[in-house]
Amino acid sequence: MSQQVTEHRVALKLNEEYCSSCSICCSLCPFEAIKKDAETGNTFLEIEKCQVCGICYSACPAKAIDTIYYDSGSLIKYLERAKQEYDSDTLVIMCKGSAPDFVGIERLFGVSKFVPLSVPCVGRISEELFLKAIAMGIEEIYVLACDQNYCRFERGSPVTGRRILALNLLLEQLGYGREVITLKRHSLKVKADRDLCIGCGNCAFYCPYQAVKLDSPGVANFNLDSCRGCGLCVAICPAMALELENWERERISTLISRLSSEMEQPKILVFRCQWAVFPPLDGEFSPNICAIDLPCAARVDAFHILEAFQKGVDGVLIAACPEEDCKLERGSGRAQHSVAVLRERLNQIGFEDRLHFCSVAPRYPEEFDRELRQFSQRIEAICSKRERK
Amino acid sequence: MIVTTQKPLDEILDSISPYSNILIAGCDGCTQPPRGIREAKTLSQLLDLGGRLRDKNFVFKVATVVKQCDSFLAASALKPQVDGVEAVLSLACGAGVQTVAELFPDLPVLPAQNTHFIGVEDREGGILEERCAACGDCLLARMGGICPVTRCAKGLLNGACGGARNGKCEMDPARDCAWELIFQRLDKQDKLDLLKEFRPPRNYQLRAWRLTP
Repeated sequence: MSQQVTEHRVALKLNEEYCSSCSICCSLCPFEAIKKDAETGNTFLEIEKCQVCGICYSACPAKAIDTIYYDSGSLIKYLERAKQEYDSDTLVIMCKGSAPDFVGIERLFGVSKFVPLSVPCVGRISEELFLKAIAMGIEEIYVLACDQNYCRFERGSPVTGRRILALNLLLEQLGYGREVITLKRHSLKVKADRDLCIGCGNCAFYCPYQAVKLDSPGVANFNLDSCRGCGLCVAICPAMALELENWERERISTLISRLSSEMEQPKILVFRCQWAVFPPLDGEFSPNICAIDLPCAARVDAFHILEAFQKGVDGVLIAACPEEDCKLERGSGRAQHSVAVLRERLNQIGFEDRLHFCSVAPRYPEEFDRELRQFSQRIEAICSKRERK
Repeated sequence: MIVTTQKPLDEILDSISPYSNILIAGCDGCTQPPRGIREAKTLSQLLDLGGRLRDKNFVFKVATVVKQCDSFLAASALKPQVDGVEAVLSLACGAGVQTVAELFPDLPVLPAQNTHFIGVEDREGGILEERCAACGDCLLARMGGICPVTRCAKGLLNGACGGARNGKCEMDPARDCAWELIFQRLDKQDKLDLLKEFRPPRNYQLRAWRLTP
C-alpha cells in the first residue's frame, strides 16, 4: 500500500493568495512545520511535520490557512445546533487531552447544564469563535485546557491562556461583564493503588518520563509532576494497581459493554489514539462501527481488546500515530508491540485474524478511512464465511 | 529470578479440557514480568475464547499469590477460592505448581508455564540468561563474580579449556567464553593470582535436596 503514490488529501493548506507573510503562524507552530523562506520571504508549509493542532489556523489574521477539522464554519454550525440541543447559555470548551468526555466538568466548573465542545487542543479555538459564541447568546464560557507542560501540542495551552486574558479585557470594555470566559487547566494522570502494588518495578522501567521510582520496600512512588498521562504503565502493570484518571478500567469496560450491545453486525470496535484520528463534530461511522478514544496508543490494553472479543465484537482495530508523530514517548511503538504479542497468543488458540494495528496521522485523513474500510471488508468476509459454515 | 516462559495456549487448552470450573492462580514473585493478576485475567480471557472455538464453556476464577512457592502464602490466598473448582491452573514455576498441588491433593494442578533456570533478564534486549545452577558451593568470590558452572558450556572449574575463538565458546559461538570473562574481570581487579589456585572437582552432595534453615 505504501508504494501507492496518490495525491493525498491533506488536513491543512496554506493559501498563498491570501498570505500576507506576517509570520505569526511560523512563530506559533510548535513543530516548525510552517516556515518563512529566507530568500523569497514567502511562508510555506511542510505538511510532513504538521500535527494538525490548528494553532496556526486560529491565529492567522489573513485567514490564509484552511483546515478540514473543526474549522470556524463547522464549529459555528455545531454551536448553533448544540445550543438548541443542550438548551443552555453556558459553553464548555474542552481539550480532549484533559477531558475525554464530560466526566468531572460539573465538579471542575460547578455547571451541570452546558453546551459541550470537545476539540483536540483548545489552542485551535480562535478569538473570533469565542466572540461568535457570545454573539449567539452564550453568556458564560468555560475552557478546560491541559496544564502548560502537559499540552500535547506544546503551545496550545499557553496560547489559549493569553487569548482568554485579552478577550476578557475586551468583553469587559464592551460591557459584557467581567471574566465572561473562565479558564481552568487540568491534566489527567496516573493513580496508583499502593495496596495492590507488588513492587515489580515495571512501571519504573517503562515510564518514558522517569515519573516513578520504587520506594523501599518495593512500592511504586509516582511523581505526578513528571507524569504525562500516556497510560503506558497502566496497560502493563502486572498487578493492575494503576489507573489513569478518566480512563479507568471500569469506565472503559462499561463503555465496551454498552457499545457492543448497541452495535450492528459485523461489530467493529476501534481503539484510537486521540491524536491519530480526529473525529468529525457530528455523528461518525456506520452503525456497526464504534470507537473508543485513548489518551495515547500506549494505553491500549490486551485486557480490553479481549474483553471486546468476549462480548461479541467481531473485529478490533487499533489506530495509533506513526512512531515519529507520537505526542508522547514510545507510546505508539509500545502499542504495536503489545498488539503483536496478543495477536500471537490469539493465533495459538486458533482465533481468526480479527485484530489489526495501523498507524495513521490526522494530516492525511484518508489514511484512517482506508484502513477502516479495508479492515471492515476483511471482517465482513470472515463473518460471512463463518455464517456459511 | 526463576525464569519461566508461557506454555503454548493450545497445550494449556488441551490440559484443561477435561474440566469446566478452573481456578487460575497467578504468582507475583520472581518472574519478570510477574505472572500476577493481570496475566491470570488475560489468560482466562484467552482460554475462554479458545474454549468457545472448541465448543467448550469454561468457568474461570482468578486469584494471585504473593509467592506461590510459599505454602503458607499459597494456602491463605488460594484456599478460600477452591470451592466448586475442578482444577487449578498455576502461573508459577515448578516449585509453585508443586506447592499448590500439595495444598490440594484432591485437585489436579496444571502448569501454565515452562520453568527454565535461575537467571537474569537483559531488559533492554529482552534476553533471559542462566546465571546460577544452585550448586550449593558458591565460587563467585574467586571468579570475579562470573559463574563458570552456568556460563562455561563445559562447567569447568579450572578453565579456560583453550577452545575459545575470539572470546566465543567453541561449543556455541553465540556464547561468550566464561573463562575469558573471568580472566578479564580479575585482571581489571588486579587479582589474577586467584586463577593459580586449583579448584578440586565439585562436591555434588553440597547441592542437597533438603535443608533445615
